[in-house]
Amino acid sequence: MATVTSLRPQFKASPYLIGAGILFIVTFIYAVYLKVTLGYAAFNTTNYGVFWGFPIVVYDYFLLTSVGLALVAAVPLALGVRALDPIAKRCVWLAIAALVGGVAILFMELAHPLRALWATPLNLQTASPLFWKILCVGAYTIVLVLTALALARGARPGEVPRPLAILLGLLALAIAAIAGSVYGMLVFRPFWYGGELPVVFIIESVMGGLAFVIFFTYVAYGMAPDTVPQGTRELLAGPLGVALAVAVLLHLLFTLARTVTGLWSYGEGMQVWQYTVSQPLYWLGLIGGGVVPLVVFATPTLRTQPWLQIVGGFLVAVGLLASRYEFLINGQLVPPFKGSWAPSLLEYAPSQFEWVLFFMGVFLANTIYAGLESWSSTRQE
Amino acid sequence: MTKWGMVIDLEKCTGCQACTTACAMENSRLPGEAWQDVLFYHEGRYPNVKVSWLPRPCMHCENPSCVAVCPTKATYKTEDGVVLVDWDKCIGCKYCMIACPYGVRFYMDEKPVVQPDLREVFPGDGDRIWNPPYRMPDHLADRKKGIGIQPKGVVSKCTFCYHKISKAPKGVADLDEDDPATREYTPACVRVCPPKARYFGDLDNPNSKVSQLIADKRGVRLKEETGNKPQVYYLAGGAAPVVPGERSQERG
Ligand code: SF4
Ligand code: SF4
Ligand code: SF4
Repeated sequence: MATVTSLRPQFKASPYLIGAGILFIVTFIYAVYLKVTLGYAAFNTTNYGVFWGFPIVVYDYFLLTSVGLALVAAVPLALGVRALDPIAKRCVWLAIAALVGGVAILFMELAHPLRALWATPLNLQTASPLFWKILCVGAYTIVLVLTALALARGARPGEVPRPLAILLGLLALAIAAIAGSVYGMLVFRPFWYGGELPVVFIIESVMGGLAFVIFFTYVAYGMAPDTVPQGTRELLAGPLGVALAVAVLLHLLFTLARTVTGLWSYGEGMQVWQYTVSQPLYWLGLIGGGVVPLVVFATPTLRTQPWLQIVGGFLVAVGLLASRYEFLINGQLVPPFKGSWAPSLLEYAPSQFEWVLFFMGVFLANTIYAGLESWSSTRQE
Repeated sequence: MTKWGMVIDLEKCTGCQACTTACAMENSRLPGEAWQDVLFYHEGRYPNVKVSWLPRPCMHCENPSCVAVCPTKATYKTEDGVVLVDWDKCIGCKYCMIACPYGVRFYMDEKPVVQPDLREVFPGDGDRIWNPPYRMPDHLADRKKGIGIQPKGVVSKCTFCYHKISKAPKGVADLDEDDPATREYTPACVRVCPPKARYFGDLDNPNSKVSQLIADKRGVRLKEETGNKPQVYYLAGGAAPVVPGERSQERG
């Protein structure tokens, strides 16, 4: 149980924070250097059809993980499920870290990020899912910071204003659903098109959120499971582990259903499914990020093993990134309307700069998280 | 109200790419930034090969998905039915490129498609992405309408030569290069077409040549299933223009 003293913010720079911070600075400087020196060759996107590349994959991945964490946090904060109190604050910290990491990558990718900040709200293009996504992400950022401030000031999860927590949950839900609609609305891109996508995105967000909070709880305790309080350990091995198993199962069902239907379909554009299943990345996402963690978290004797939880959580996080990549990139590989000028299936692999952006985002998110953990009293739950 | 539209007669088109060249010159486009292109399609295998082609400008859709998805309203539709991009509002998110079923939008802050990179040979001054010696005169450029050479980090597309057609006499039914009164207002690709396969005029005027051609020769639009309702019509002898997908080859 937390004491008043332990809840008071006390900053202590951990080796984790220092390491992540240094790596972030190095990758950031290298990213800026590459962007300046490579100029137009920095990105591997082209006008033939792959318009959104790896940075957008990672941005979406981080954003969806952030809202997934906010949804998990909303269970104790908004719904009052006190059993989840021990991880509420960590979820909020991680949600901030993932959001900052993702938005930083987007700002490095987008040509005019600052223009987006005024041109989007002022022009009210309500027909665009992207308009709503940007608007909701703006509101979500504010609500998330307010929630974090309340927690940082020493409020217990049950003391965070309920309307604020409900708003946080609703915005997180809306962002995940709208992010799905961004792709799902595109009727002439059959690989993406479908009304189920908003639901899939919500489920995958929660799945990412649960995997992150399980993995990073152990990170916060220096990867020493014995030092994790008994109550928290039981939470990870019990309700959270089971919830993750359910989310992974649903994700697997959606993936398999989409794959089988896609392989059977003979519509133009659906031939990308044959390519998709021939790629190791697809199987990494499916087996490594799906089947293996499902076995771990669905088996009572396995999910109580801390190291299996750590590996399982990590596998889900990596598998989700692989799935996000395969979904977003492969959806663009059949070039629409380019005739014989373009190959029947485009090729894309992230450029060096795009990889550096990814690592920059990862290290930035880790720095923010480590900083928040060091500063707050999360460890004394 | 005028609703500008184009008719392309595929029975006359020879695939010569004069339109493509004229568009690139008129609008100072970079290599690879084909606002207008003639797409070639190959079907079958040797010796039974069929080659077909399709000239493709922006369709200036009546119900444009690019306009609907643009989060900042940088892409918009004018009262006279033309889809334009305001480069001062474009954030370079490329959602419009993702959402255009006809693949007619370009983002030129990418790897060059030919060497040397002409942006380095003719570096842009001020806000221009490049500065070719044969560029469009400055007084015609309008960044609020996506006319001229774009700044960095925005999307560009065919404007229906808005710098020309918007100055045409009010109420005119057709913009025809053979009519001295409208020649200067006729889009560049229409004006240079050697077999006169391209026509440009007011789709809302039943007496315009474009309206008559669409009615008499059963003009068709591409990808009707998307609901975009292009304002570019194709004449193909009554049949739908053939745009074979990759899969038609696979299964043939
Ligand atoms: S063809 Fe594409 S870019 Fe042109 S108006 Fe239609 S949707 Fe927009
Ligand atoms: S790239 Fe520009 S024109 Fe296209 S959707 Fe984004 S803001 Fe609109
Ligand atoms: S109308 Fe003008 S901008 Fe459009 S394709 Fe023709 S020449 Fe190019």
